[in-house]
Amino acid sequence: MEYDIKFEDVSFRYTGAEKDVLRGINIKVSPGEIVLVTGPAGSGKTTFCSCINGLIPHYHEGELTGQVIVRSYDTRRARIGGLASLVGMVFQDPESQLVTSSVIDEVAFGPENLGVPRAEIYQRVTEALSATRLLGYEDREPHNLSGGEQQACAIAATYSMHPEIYVMDEPLANLDPAGRLQVLQVLIDVAKQRQKTLIIVEHSLEEVLPLVDRVLVINEGQIIRDGTVEEVLAAGDIPRIFTRPAIVRLADKFGLDLKTFSADKFYTDLNARKPLGMLDHADEPSPASANSSRPIIEFQNVHYTYKGQVAALKGVNLTIHEGELVAILGRNGSGKTTLARHIIGLLQPALGRVIVAGRDVAVTPTHELTQEIGFCFQNPNHQIVAFKVRDEMTFGLKAHNIDPAEFDQRVHRALDLVDMLDVIDAEIFDLGKGQKQRLALASVLTLNPKILVIDEPTTGQDPQMTKEIFDVIKHLNDLGTTVLMITHRVDYAAAYAHRAVVMKRGEVAFDGPVWELISNPEIMRANALELPDITKLALQLNKHGVPPWTIKYEQLEHYLQQLVG
Amino acid sequence: MAIEYQKGNAFLHRLDARTKLLLFVGMTVLAIVVADPILMGLLFAALYFIGTRSVDRKLLNSNLRILIVIFLTFSLFQIIFFTFEDSYFLFYLIPFKNWIPVTVQGLIRGLAVFFRFFSVVLAVHLMLYTTPPVELALTITKRERSRRVSSELAATLILGLILFVVAHLTRAEEIQVLPFSHPIRTLLVLLASFVSAYGIQKIAGHGLPPEMGMALTLGFATVGLLSKQTEIITDAQKARGYDVKPKNLIRRIQVLTALLLPIFIATLERSQDISVAILSRGFDYNIDARTYRRQLKFQAWDYVVLGTLVLLLFGSLYLNYLQLGNPTEQIILNLLER
Repeated sequence: MEYDIKFEDVSFRYTGAEKDVLRGINIKVSPGEIVLVTGPAGSGKTTFCSCINGLIPHYHEGELTGQVIVRSYDTRRARIGGLASLVGMVFQDPESQLVTSSVIDEVAFGPENLGVPRAEIYQRVTEALSATRLLGYEDREPHNLSGGEQQACAIAATYSMHPEIYVMDEPLANLDPAGRLQVLQVLIDVAKQRQKTLIIVEHSLEEVLPLVDRVLVINEGQIIRDGTVEEVLAAGDIPRIFTRPAIVRLADKFGLDLKTFSADKFYTDLNARKPLGMLDHADEPSPASANSSRPIIEFQNVHYTYKGQVAALKGVNLTIHEGELVAILGRNGSGKTTLARHIIGLLQPALGRVIVAGRDVAVTPTHELTQEIGFCFQNPNHQIVAFKVRDEMTFGLKAHNIDPAEFDQRVHRALDLVDMLDVIDAEIFDLGKGQKQRLALASVLTLNPKILVIDEPTTGQDPQMTKEIFDVIKHLNDLGTTVLMITHRVDYAAAYAHRAVVMKRGEVAFDGPVWELISNPEIMRANALELPDITKLALQLNKHGVPPWTIKYEQLEHYLQQLVG
Repeated sequence: MAIEYQKGNAFLHRLDARTKLLLFVGMTVLAIVVADPILMGLLFAALYFIGTRSVDRKLLNSNLRILIVIFLTFSLFQIIFFTFEDSYFLFYLIPFKNWIPVTVQGLIRGLAVFFRFFSVVLAVHLMLYTTPPVELALTITKRERSRRVSSELAATLILGLILFVVAHLTRAEEIQVLPFSHPIRTLLVLLASFVSAYGIQKIAGHGLPPEMGMALTLGFATVGLLSKQTEIITDAQKARGYDVKPKNLIRRIQVLTALLLPIFIATLERSQDISVAILSRGFDYNIDARTYRRQLKFQAWDYVVLGTLVLLLFGSLYLNYLQLGNPTEQIILNLLER
């Protein structure tokens, strides 16, 4: 039997690290297999990928034991460049892997390196661009594309090298729903058309499971599960490590085929087995919020236009009350971030007024506004200013001339909130991405802000970390902080927020309780908002009396039990 | 104000990157050779005319306008300090003390200097505005393992002939005193021209090693990204409560250092990202045998532009050879003396 990839007792430890990142990995992947690799953040998935294309041991320094064989080559003896002609690698962050100044240069870069004749390069570029639906983008600059387009471009750049094996490390993680859809479609095309081997690392099992043949679950550097999709699903969940998609769990519970990935199939199968009855009692939707309290953020007919572009905000009227937890949703470029930037005066309205905590942002300097407003950016690296966690935490306190006697107590309290007290003396370079994100949040919390504005807190985090971050946000809200969060995660927004605001082309397209939003398929579709699977199923079951705003797994399970009787 | 490449498909854009590089070099040489303000002014006007055909006039003007004051200062220095023994005296800049005499020659050369500087600067601007940085980097990169003998010979021949003519125009007297008979003298000069031409084309054809050339190319692509990142970081810091423009100078320095760290980290990360990305795409596969998609190829207009440059060079050297290099000065002096 011939194998494309073979790991023989492979362990790896980065130079200076205390623990092995990979421990005794043994796997064989046959040509043409499509393999999903999943597991919590920091479990060694990226390291695993780097072993396949030779970045380990040739670029990342460390101690590699065992043997990695790709086709007939021992990666230890091959050059990265040589392996690159066999293994095409796509990384998580689309922007970081685009290196040239136009799409065509980017896609041609690989074949150029391989010394492909010029005429064939053009042919390959056209082929790759059409496969990734990027024809017509040749002269665009990569860093001006949307996230989905960038990732598609990165895939095209790999595709044009004609690799035998594709390795994709969380290709969907940094994308919004529209971008995910685009890249997922490209992925399916690439995988199906070419009969090539594909290793794909992903957290979002719902989208990827239907495409793959085989699943590997990695935890703490070890493969803890390896089998066909059916086998791995049948073995059940592993708390904090592997959670099957909600529909699969329900299918398991109600004895349906485990490979039930869509709400449609679930409903049809369940109904076919035994027609469902009617629900005689359903819960009422939870109220939006107790918003009898004072307004704390007011947008009054706010207009804003970026230099030389179309209007980003067109007459926004919005009032946020004290103590609310509001989710701001919408497509990329719909004005969500522009809206948030007005709250701390990073942008000032061209027309209209923004009043925050009684102050007009147009006449209040940003550094004064930040005494009451905490603002977290999407990429935590952009706001880190120190080398050590402790210095980072006290930086804002110093900037605001807080009494140094209070430092210790404030830092401890903030770190405790995000559950990071144990790393208080650590170096920031040693933290993982999820930890950095929480550190950025904690450093903002030291100032005890009354209002918290968070832009995409969960980009590139695994499901467990995502849940933890939302838990922290919820906890802060319970303590009285007003929270505004920009997010793509409708499921989490629905589970945590009181109120949803949907932006569309610079205007407020929806403002109301979250349950109202998710039971309105038209608005959801018009704004490229993906319904959570649970809600999709609830919609199907609506004719049986299940409320369409059902969002919690337990709740739906409860209804289903009644329906099945 | 950065001089950034302006996308377009005008006359200058269509020229080969190498032609534009040579145009810049040629204008620099011409600016040294031509001493007459009117001739230099005409050259400048011609170049400006070609430039406005390809680049937005407003953009060009706004960039050149800043330099007027600086170049006027240069001209002033020329006027003040350029005083021959026998130059035509006009007046003193500081009258009663009889300080700093101003002469006709000084004024004329000052004006010439003004145009000389401007022509060189304009040539640089036009080159950068109309050539993608990637192609500029490519022109100075070694792209083939070995160059074809025919192209080496052609380069040597053309360059050798140019050098031969230049030698006769600039060093006629020295050639005359060589202790050989006339045909041998000429042959000797011809031989020397070809030998140096061969050497020059060898050195020029060598170019940067491909690794460095590619580094340059990738560096250009990163500039836009880094400036975008700096903006994001500044905003993030404002949002954390820094007064980004405090009045206190010491605070301002502190703020600046706080900005440097994330930019430093971002740059480091970017360079890491780039190395991982290019390695994964086969950068070290076999760099000497790499294909370059972008092809540099001379078109008819490239030859016209380069030919014109050579003719201009010969022409101005010939004027100097005939002692007619400063017609304006001579005419004005003749008028004044009459």
